[in-house]
Amino acid sequence: MKPFDFARPDTIAAAVALLDGRDASRPNRSALLAGGTDLLTLMKADLYAPELLIDIKRLAELDNRIEETAEGLTIGALVTLSQLEDDPRIQSLVPALAEAAALAATPQLRHMATIGGNLLQRPRCWYFRKPGIHCWLKGGDDCPARQGENQLHALFDVSPCVAVHPSDPATALLALAASVRLRGAAGERELPLAAFFAPPTDERRQETVIGNDELIVSIQIPAAAPGTRSTYLKAMNRKVWAFALAGVAAAIHMDGNRIAQARLALGGVAPVPWRAESAEQVLTGAEPSPEIIARAAESALASAEPLAHNGYKIPLAKALVRRALTRLTAPAFPGA
Amino acid sequence: MAKLHIEPKQSEEGEDGAEFQVVEDEGILAWDADSELLVVGQSYPRLEGREKVTGRARYSSDVRLPGQLYARVLRSPYPHARIRNIDITKAEQSPGVHAVICAANVPRIAWYEESVLFDATVRLVGDEIAAVAAESDELAQDALRLIEVDYESLPFVTTIEEALRPDAPKVHDGGNIAGEPTTYERGDPESGLHEADVVVTGDFETPCALHNAFESHGCTASWEGDSLTLWDSTQAIFVVRQQVAEKLKMPEHRVRVIKQHMGGGFGAKQIPWKHDVIAALLSKQAGRPVQLLLDREAENMAAGNRNPTRQHVQLGAKRDGTLTAIVARIEQSAGAYRTGGEASNVSGTYQTLYRCPNVRTEQTAVYTNTGPAVAFRAPGHVEAAFALEQAMDELARALDLDPVALRRRNYAEVDQLEDKPFTLPEGLRLSYDRVTETFGWGERTAQPADSVKRRGVGFAAHDWSGGTGHPPGYAWIELNSDGTADVVTGTQDIGTGARTGLAQVAAEELGLPLANIAFQLGDTATGPYSPVSSGSATQATIGPALRAAAADVKAQLLEVASVVLEIGVGRLSVRDGRVLVDGDTERAIAVGEVMQKIAPHTLQARGARAPNPADMTIRTFGAQCVELEVDTETGEITVLRIVTAHDCGRIINPALVDSQVVGGVTQGVGFALSEERIVDTRLGIVLNANLEEYHVPTVADVPVIEHARVGVPDSAANSTGAKGIGEPPLIPTAPAIANAVFDAIGIRFRAGPLTRQRVLAALAARETNGSGEADS
Ligand SMILES: Cc1cc2nc3c(=O)[nH]c(=O)nc-3n(C[C@H](O)[C@H](O)[C@H](O)COP(=O)(O)OP(=O)(O)OC[C@H]3O[C@@H](n4cnc5c(N)ncnc54)[C@H](O)[C@@H]3O)c2cc1C
Ligand code: SF4
Repeated sequence: MKPFDFARPDTIAAAVALLDGRDASRPNRSALLAGGTDLLTLMKADLYAPELLIDIKRLAELDNRIEETAEGLTIGALVTLSQLEDDPRIQSLVPALAEAAALAATPQLRHMATIGGNLLQRPRCWYFRKPGIHCWLKGGDDCPARQGENQLHALFDVSPCVAVHPSDPATALLALAASVRLRGAAGERELPLAAFFAPPTDERRQETVIGNDELIVSIQIPAAAPGTRSTYLKAMNRKVWAFALAGVAAAIHMDGNRIAQARLALGGVAPVPWRAESAEQVLTGAEPSPEIIARAAESALASAEPLAHNGYKIPLAKALVRRALTRLTAPAFPGA
Repeated sequence: MAKLHIEPKQSEEGEDGAEFQVVEDEGILAWDADSELLVVGQSYPRLEGREKVTGRARYSSDVRLPGQLYARVLRSPYPHARIRNIDITKAEQSPGVHAVICAANVPRIAWYEESVLFDATVRLVGDEIAAVAAESDELAQDALRLIEVDYESLPFVTTIEEALRPDAPKVHDGGNIAGEPTTYERGDPESGLHEADVVVTGDFETPCALHNAFESHGCTASWEGDSLTLWDSTQAIFVVRQQVAEKLKMPEHRVRVIKQHMGGGFGAKQIPWKHDVIAALLSKQAGRPVQLLLDREAENMAAGNRNPTRQHVQLGAKRDGTLTAIVARIEQSAGAYRTGGEASNVSGTYQTLYRCPNVRTEQTAVYTNTGPAVAFRAPGHVEAAFALEQAMDELARALDLDPVALRRRNYAEVDQLEDKPFTLPEGLRLSYDRVTETFGWGERTAQPADSVKRRGVGFAAHDWSGGTGHPPGYAWIELNSDGTADVVTGTQDIGTGARTGLAQVAAEELGLPLANIAFQLGDTATGPYSPVSSGSATQATIGPALRAAAADVKAQLLEVASVVLEIGVGRLSVRDGRVLVDGDTERAIAVGEVMQKIAPHTLQARGARAPNPADMTIRTFGAQCVELEVDTETGEITVLRIVTAHDCGRIINPALVDSQVVGGVTQGVGFALSEERIVDTRLGIVLNANLEEYHVPTVADVPVIEHARVGVPDSAANSTGAKGIGEPPLIPTAPAIANAVFDAIGIRFRAGPLTRQRVLAALAARETNGSGEADS
């Protein structure tokens, strides 16, 4: 780890001002420190060397609360994954998020990890995480994973980088139509999650469009039609404490015995949380049946382009999609 | 005076060193099944338990000496390269730096066959190039970055397959074959296969597993004049002392090695590593104590692993199941160097586990540009069992025989290598009985209602050449004037609870309660020689030596008591801290009271481990049953239940034995399902040299493990009747799991571990071509 300065601003404005000092030619000048569970590992591995750490964990103005209003839920950027896991409103209104939080990392990490930091965590690609490998995402010329050990990598080829986005909550939030509220030098803006995450490009080698001077203030989950059901399923290489080989979040609103609205998102399959719109179309208006569900699952993975070692993720993700949908459309759904 | 006999040493092939061995006879009768033992056989909590749970136990990494420096090692980023030049000047000038060493400023110290400590050729990513000692770990890391190395990158190989190609880049000048290939043959394997009614053939592959002991490798070195003290996380304090002395050209008595507590070693700490000598050299140069701890990455790159293998196996049998031939061709990767501690005899179990007149094994080790292999809990046997025990399962199915019945039919009553009887020939049979009864083997498992989930059961057996114990190994005992005893050995407790099990033996023989024993180990300066704690040997090596010393002290005590009480020695005995008089309970007297009569005199003795029986073979055996469930859509395997039985002779402390069993089986679950070092073949880099992507099992992955204790004393093996249990429980787990998976879904996995990737790929392949075979 390289030496760095440390600041603990009292207001969001002061934090943004410190961020604002960032010089584009020195992209490592400052970084926000929340739970530190990702940032500090990156710094220890010399993958990231900010000169100034801006500690926002105790910033009173930045919320660590979950609020329910008529519009929906507001989740402060500092809310931890264990809060999301345990909160009765999250559990009853948006169970997919509670489940995704509960399946992430370990209890110790969930106590420290904030939702803001979770959305901005960097890929776990094992080439990326090796200090000695200067891969494309780190500004290099090529991606060793494409021809290498890519069993954990992406099925959807939408960027020079084939790392998968590691967040479980992000997949759930995408299915819940959430948006992110950002504050920067130019003021505040709100972006739907689908726009906030964007596959890295040559000009922007990161997984989101957050500006250099912006911080996440909160996450908004719009109130869904009453009776909307949601769930998150995750497949790992062991029972707990592993990143998703595939994750599936689904939110379904039933109108009688038809699916009025369906939102489906996949994790562990693309550089960003992946919305399966074609599958949603298969489901919308349909009467749920094993055939419809199977068709939706096929459709969700139809454009997958497996690499040499990750083809197994296709049947895996399909199985999770079928399971999630079967669960949510069951007549005897708990609480239905 | 001990009775010493000096005999010419039976030289093992290729072995050099000592030419004679000292034979000391303990001259005591072995405890047998009828011995009434008071302390042995009880589940005493660990003697050091309180220290450990209150955080007071000092591990090697806890050492803090005045002025102590912290060291870091610069490691090669290339799998194969020549070092043209190293410039350490900037690092030397870096703040807080007190010493920087590299090839240019240390003596040439031979290491790993023809290589040296800081070799001009690096042969793996992680090979040691230079080292820094600074006032903090961070300052040492900063200084490392300032070392400039000019490399000439060389072509390399990372897999067995690549290494064996005729045009393969050479890891060493002599080529890629590591040492002499070994061949064993008895009978006529070809005609054995020919006369078989059924032959099963399979190509198996086992992964490279990483030890990942809780406590990673490391040591602290401190000089006082010409004397060096090393606090080392090691399984072998005396081996470290001898080797470090030799490498540094010092007399052994000027090197002291201390290790009080250790968070596991699993074989990787049975040899001294370069960091032991690097720490000593840095400390010498800096004139201050130096601590050198390897981080997870470093240890998983360069400080040992379980060698990956490829095994081509053929079994032939008659229709009734009688084996007619066992043939195995084995290739294993030694990594870039032979450490001398790899001990991976993959062939062994093919030669001994089953009765078979016609056997051939061929074993070839190859060099690759990857981390060097070193013994890993039951080295060789774990790898072999994965193949042999699956092949036996296939054979049972081909013959339509119960897998346990097939094994019973081929029961080996004798050691077929040397044509000697086993000391406990029924050991394996008892394990079969105990494990199948407890598990309910043969009762059909109910399938879950959900047809996507399939349940299966699997069985596997094992033998193990370790667990026997052996000379030399010594102990000293002093009975104090208050009736308490100081018991000293130079062995080590590597986290197994050896202290407690050994103290129980001493207490039993002395006739003292365990609480009256102070037990010391783990210090070459204060205890007599003990060998490395490997091969599940510590209890069986040092236990008898302690018994011998205790018996001697006890005999002296009874002589004193006889004078004090004016009663013939023949009527006296000691039990639970009291000298008892046969036929006169009134006259019993506390040991302390007897000792008071001669105070301040004390009674002392030494004990030595006697040789193992010459005309018999000691072996440990066991068997395991597994029940599991496979989700045929997601490839998830859930292990539901494991029952395991092992012949480890007398059980000295049931709780400690159970804890070895649970730990071993847990490691077996990891080897079966999730543990595999991944190396990028084009970069030569270990991609998962950390605990995040190298998946050891969590509590949620491990089912209830039931130990069906056998517990029959092996009184012919040694005077305590106890054998080792550290390694055996892990051996049969992976094949038992793979056999259960076959039982559940009808797919044979000949390459492990059984990850989602492998299981789903095999399920998909079956969908398309209907085969029940998994590709690797
Ligand atoms: C061993 C391990 C296992 C894990 N397993 C999982 C898993 O299974 N599933 C999963 O989803 N995650 C997993 N994680 C990731 C973990 O959830 C994230 O590291 C955590 O959520 C990050 O939150 P933090 O508060 O610690 O962020 P930090 O580490 O403090 O910050 C992360 C990044 O976000 C930025 N940042 C933080 N807060 C803000 C803000 N309000 N505005 C703008 N930028 C901000 C920081 O500058 C930094 O760039 C795992 C992590 C570890 C170490
Ligand atoms: S997948 Fe992305 S992060 Fe991984 S090596 Fe390729 S470019 Fe780098």
